[in-house]
Amino acid sequence: MNKTDDKSDSVDIGCLQAIDALYAYLDGELDDPASVTSFEHHMQHCRSCYSRAEIEGLLTARLRETARSQAPEALQARLRKLMDDF
Amino acid sequence: MADTDDIRHFFSKSIEDNMDALYGVALRMARTPADAEDLVADAVAKAWAAFATLDDRSRFRPWIFRILRNCFISDYRRKSVRPAESAYQEQPADHEDDGLAALLTQQSDEFLNWWAEPEREFFNDILGEAIMSAIDDLPEAFKMPILLTNVEGLTYDEAAEALGVPCGTIRSRMKRGRTLLQKALWQQAHDAELAVCNDMQESGG
Repeated sequence: MNKTDDKSDSVDIGCLQAIDALYAYLDGELDDPASVTSFEHHMQHCRSCYSRAEIEGLLTARLRETARSQAPEALQARLRKLMDDF
Repeated sequence: MADTDDIRHFFSKSIEDNMDALYGVALRMARTPADAEDLVADAVAKAWAAFATLDDRSRFRPWIFRILRNCFISDYRRKSVRPAESAYQEQPADHEDDGLAALLTQQSDEFLNWWAEPEREFFNDILGEAIMSAIDDLPEAFKMPILLTNVEGLTYDEAAEALGVPCGTIRSRMKRGRTLLQKALWQQAHDAELAVCNDMQESGG
């Protein structure tokens, strides 16, 4: 354990930067490996940001579950008929 | 003939695979189930007519969502119960993002406190309705990226193609949109909690 002072670690970022990257990270859109490393490093050391990320993850799951709709059967039949006529 | 069959098969399967998503997004745009059904049917007819313009079949999803949105803008927005929105102007200033992030850090603690309360289960019951109401109230510039990515699973790149904006714009709108959404949900939960407290006080609790 050579590095005991995590705050001095060069990959550490602040809360503002972490929040700036939060949604892209949660959505799997933070594709730069260095940014991912920095973000994850911050999450390991900042309880507030970690909790926030947890909440955002839960909200996204709830959002997906709530906002998804199923096409009514009448629409399904209408589209199939439409495509049969193409 | 084989080519035609192949095209028809691909098109039909792709529409089948995306029926629910198309209807879900159409419903959030058009607001009424009847208009949403008409909108999807129109988009599918227009997509078939324009299928030759789809160069890369792997991009079918962003392509069909773009057609759906264009149909809505050209034919349905006038009928929509909502007034037309002026085009959202991107904010170029970086410092605004800093301000947004600062707001999020402050809001986070309040939201966390609320979320951690045991009474949260009660609010979970109303959360589903609150989410839909908050989504419907979002400006379209923020609502569409959230619906396409968080709900329907498109990548930022696909959402950008569907909405005809750069990928960086989607990234920025996701941040702002999710912040607005969370703020609205927190406000609704806060109001609901106050209403419960007031009821308890009035009943002598």
